[in-house]
Amino acid sequence: MFDPDKLIRKGLPKGYFKDILVRSLLGGITYLIVLIAVLLFAKIIIDGAPALFTSKFPFVDVEFLTAKNETLHVFDDAQGTRLQLPASKYSEYLNAHSGESIYNEQTFSYSGGGIAGPIAGTALLTVGSMILALFFGVSAAIYLAEYAKQSPFIHAVRLAILNLAGIPSIVFGLFGFSVFVLAVPVITSTPSDRTLLAIPLLINDWVLSFQGWNSSLIAGCATLACMILPVIITASEESLRAVPQGFRDASLAMGGTRWQTIRKCVLPYSLPGILTSSLLAITRVAGETAPIMFTAAVAAKDDFPWQGLGNPFDILSSQVQALPYHIYTLAARIPNSEYTQRAQYGSVLVFLLLVAVLSFGSMMLRAKMRRKLKW
Amino acid sequence: MAPEERSIPQSRHRFQRQGFSYERLIKYFFASNAGLTIVILVLIIVFLLKEGLGFFPGYRRELETYRIAGLEFVDISRKNLTAHEQLTSLLNRAYFAEINGKSTREMRRTQESSALFNAFTDQIAPTRDLILNNPQGETDGNSAMFASLQANFEKQRAKALEKLLPTPHLTADERKQLIDSLRTRPAEATDDPPLVTALAAEFAAAQQKNAEPLQAYRATIDSFESAGMDLGSAIMEMTESVTATKEKLQNADILEKDRKTLLAAASNEKDPAQRERLLSEANAALAEKPDTETPMQALLERRPDCVRLHQELKKTSADLFPQIPQSLNDSDAKRLLNAAHSAWPVFLADLDAAPQKINAWKHTDPVPLSDAFISFLTGKNWITGGEWQDFYGILPLAVGSLMIAIVALIIAIPVGIGSAIYVNQFAAQREQSLVKPVIEFIQAIPSVVLGFIGILVFGTVLREISVMDAFQWVPGFPIEERLNIFTAGCLLALMSIPTIFSLAEDALNNVPSAYAEASEALGASKVQTTFRVMIPAAFSGILAAILLGFGRVIGETMVVLLVAGNRIKIPDFTAGLGTFFQPTHTLTGIIAQELGEVPLGSVHYRALFVVGILLFVFVLGINATAHHFVNRVKK
Amino acid sequence: MGTAIQIQNVNFAYGAKQVLHDVTLDIPDRQVTAFIGPSGCGKSTLIRCINRINDRIPDARVTSGSIHIHGIDIHRPDLNLQELRRRVGMVFQKYNPFAKSIYDNVVYGLRIAGVTKRSELDEAAEKALTNAALWNEVKDRLRSSATGLSGGQQQRLCIARVIATEPDIVLMDEPCAALDPLATLKIEELITELKKKFTIVIVTHNMSQATRCSDRTAFMYLGKLIEYGDTLQIFENPKNPQTEAYITGAFG
Repeated sequence: MFDPDKLIRKGLPKGYFKDILVRSLLGGITYLIVLIAVLLFAKIIIDGAPALFTSKFPFVDVEFLTAKNETLHVFDDAQGTRLQLPASKYSEYLNAHSGESIYNEQTFSYSGGGIAGPIAGTALLTVGSMILALFFGVSAAIYLAEYAKQSPFIHAVRLAILNLAGIPSIVFGLFGFSVFVLAVPVITSTPSDRTLLAIPLLINDWVLSFQGWNSSLIAGCATLACMILPVIITASEESLRAVPQGFRDASLAMGGTRWQTIRKCVLPYSLPGILTSSLLAITRVAGETAPIMFTAAVAAKDDFPWQGLGNPFDILSSQVQALPYHIYTLAARIPNSEYTQRAQYGSVLVFLLLVAVLSFGSMMLRAKMRRKLKW
Repeated sequence: MAPEERSIPQSRHRFQRQGFSYERLIKYFFASNAGLTIVILVLIIVFLLKEGLGFFPGYRRELETYRIAGLEFVDISRKNLTAHEQLTSLLNRAYFAEINGKSTREMRRTQESSALFNAFTDQIAPTRDLILNNPQGETDGNSAMFASLQANFEKQRAKALEKLLPTPHLTADERKQLIDSLRTRPAEATDDPPLVTALAAEFAAAQQKNAEPLQAYRATIDSFESAGMDLGSAIMEMTESVTATKEKLQNADILEKDRKTLLAAASNEKDPAQRERLLSEANAALAEKPDTETPMQALLERRPDCVRLHQELKKTSADLFPQIPQSLNDSDAKRLLNAAHSAWPVFLADLDAAPQKINAWKHTDPVPLSDAFISFLTGKNWITGGEWQDFYGILPLAVGSLMIAIVALIIAIPVGIGSAIYVNQFAAQREQSLVKPVIEFIQAIPSVVLGFIGILVFGTVLREISVMDAFQWVPGFPIEERLNIFTAGCLLALMSIPTIFSLAEDALNNVPSAYAEASEALGASKVQTTFRVMIPAAFSGILAAILLGFGRVIGETMVVLLVAGNRIKIPDFTAGLGTFFQPTHTLTGIIAQELGEVPLGSVHYRALFVVGILLFVFVLGINATAHHFVNRVKK
Repeated sequence: MGTAIQIQNVNFAYGAKQVLHDVTLDIPDRQVTAFIGPSGCGKSTLIRCINRINDRIPDARVTSGSIHIHGIDIHRPDLNLQELRRRVGMVFQKYNPFAKSIYDNVVYGLRIAGVTKRSELDEAAEKALTNAALWNEVKDRLRSSATGLSGGQQQRLCIARVIATEPDIVLMDEPCAALDPLATLKIEELITELKKKFTIVIVTHNMSQATRCSDRTAFMYLGKLIEYGDTLQIFENPKNPQTEAYITGAFG
């Protein structure tokens, strides 16, 4: 029989300590991760800040962000003062002090100057691949969200998207290398030896030659676009589907065609969502190294991508430096010493800040949109 | 009057759809963009196969050359010689571990003192070199400059003396003595400070003293080592002749290929004169088939010799090995000796089998294509660009990838799922909005940055921890390489935690809230509800999260390329758990490292594509399984 | 006949939004009490206060007033909340068996209370399922998943799950809302059967259901208790004009 006094507990509740233990264990694990992330970020900020920030106005080392990347020369002059000069200034110095001898010279590749080249390259790669991926991705998403009915074709598309999303980035590197670098068709008058197939076009002895675009900006953009395509499609489809069905029904009921409905009543409302999720895709595109290693990136380059071009379109067929690849080079190919730290930690800090701004920006936008767009 | 017949337009009624309208065009445009995903997937598969499938015939031909030229014959003996060398090395390492184990204190003292001294010397080196490069007194004008250099040197020395490495095993007096000797040390001195020399002597004496009881062991090792010398020199002689044959065969292959190209060009050529010229060129290129028979006969004549050498080696070894002690005192030495003892029967059996193998070997045995497959999938060596023979066996790479994944998952699964449970079930709203963005940010960190952190920060910290006395109980400490399986595994764990976290959190979120409500209404506490209702209900989703995390770990490239240590070798499992502190190489890393350096179309190039195919299939398999679990939840 | 639940001047709010205004009523032991009223009138909220399941909702709280169960204030700080919920079982509007086997569902409450003995569990399961009029239908497939049952069976399983812990009071929050008429009939028969053993509080928007199975009825409107009395009296001779309007179908 029911005894009301049982409802009053004597002492601590049953399982009190077990409860506390489980909570604090799980909470400890969670905050451990947060702590590690904070520590990593702090370490990079502390080590990278001297390279990027200065005590004088404008508080940012503009030269580091705007100068070309060069080899660093470290040496003692005749007075025993240690000097660190990038290659161009080093040769100026030698010309100015031609009589004097220098001692203990050491050189560090990629460590002098700034990182403007890699920043520019990454910007070009990101913009190029996002243009491609957004164009094709949003179009595909429109089909999936607005037109598609159950059919074997749609099933195949969904399967392909799912599979593409899972492919390791290095396999995309292999794919980009074998397809965009070595196999896609170009129109040329002098087909290369390794062309897979050459079809004469019968105009001006031009030939459609399947010889690829070589390692170039456009090949890198295409590879990255393929990699990010499933992400863009999925996110865009989600945004399109978030637009209430009523909007479409209303437009169709008033005699609008499918395309008019999509253009006037669906796309404008889903565009903010698509762009927000694209920001996250940008962090991924900007951060990937493996797909561009063989398709676009080069460790050292004397000019900026836009310098020394015959015509503006040549920029597409030139190789570029890229920030992630630059960091890879700095980490793997040169020794860690006090003279290379500036380049190493500075580049990583710039890169990480970029990624942090993008990802937090996307998070904020998403939160803001959730509040604003409620149907 | 009949009403005027209205002219019915010839075209269809305006409700009827037009044949090929603008609207349809738009629809097809979008559909074709959706179809692009299929095209890309098909292109990926086709091109991986196109580049990769040529590998197996090419590799078969290489293996055939390996046999015809007799390299395989030499390798029968070489394998045993290598085993003998490894055994000797194990015994030697056990010997030194035993000696050093007894004189750990002396070893630490000398290591610490010389480390301190070397760090000091490095610091003052630039200013010191300047003094040495500007000898005093050659010209009077230099004396002022010399003084400034001298002052500079003193300044640098004072700076260097301020921060010296710690020397926990030196007494305070000794440390003071060492520092004093550095302070008064003239710039041009080249000899070591007296304390460093003394400590080195102390260590040598301790080694000597400890070596004394082991003299018999030392002598046995030495004679064991020299037992292999005869076989070694025989192999050296054979090596020369077989490499020459191999070179001839390879040249003939190249000429044959050229000839085929010329013939193909000739058949396309329309101009008869040109064709004639190409044909004759092709015929000229037709090299006579290289004579492999004669050198092969000479090689085969050495068979009895090889057999005799093996038998001798076996006899000497069998005489000597039982004299090795069964056990030693030091724990490292014990482990190494145990490894030697367990390797011994295998070695002996190999030696026994060798004569039979040598006699049964035939250079005329065909090499079927399946050999190339088997050798690729089960080969223990990935050797490329070597002078002897290239092997493409993926075992060392697959084992490396797998071991790194194991470390990563052992860390990431409890952490990722634990924090997902905490955030979803126990955390307050405010905590959630703190933790989730941080974890999402970890996901956004590019892998190359994590690799960089691994090289410059984590690896170094790990090594510093591993030499601390307090951590010597950890197997594998002190670590030899700061870049190893464990380092890579930890960083990959950090990468896969966000994946596992967010998917597991989703899975928990998708459990109907009615479950939790019902459970609490029945009197369950929060913890009981979580573990008895929520987690079982989300189990499939959590499993999918783990699988997708695994897929991410296996497919990750930059971190392992930078941090795994890049040594292509199956780890030495005799080290027990210490195995996880050895460097390794991975399936993804090998592609990234070697693709840029191999000639297009070569067997090596194609091998990398086959590795890519394997990765592709493996990761897709994992993902398919994961999605199977996810779909099961949805139904 | 004693009083099982005493509700005194209860005010309840979700954040800033007040949902219950000064509700006072006594619910007698071993009888069926029905709460009726239009949707949003606060009847569900009130019933969910009795076993404090509303604690799960952030910012939701009883702002003033008290609820006593057999004389024990359920908001006193040293209350054993788990024990309270074990003694005051609840059946929800949408049947919600766990994705476990039928057997595991029924013995869940006992297991979390620490009962591990097999024979004890088996016995309790059989008893609870028999009392819930489900035993004959499921006795051959106790190990199969509960989600494979029909809607009515699932709801009866949820009732069995509640009575397996032998509570004193059973709260039912529109237990038939998601069921077809036949299954509803079965549940109503079950309620009549169960009131011999338990004090039952049932929320319903179906007035004929209230007349069929309840002894006392409370009519609520806009968070206030309008009228409370014997079922017969409420339906045949309502004192309050609002009650009359509602039961004659003028609104709601």
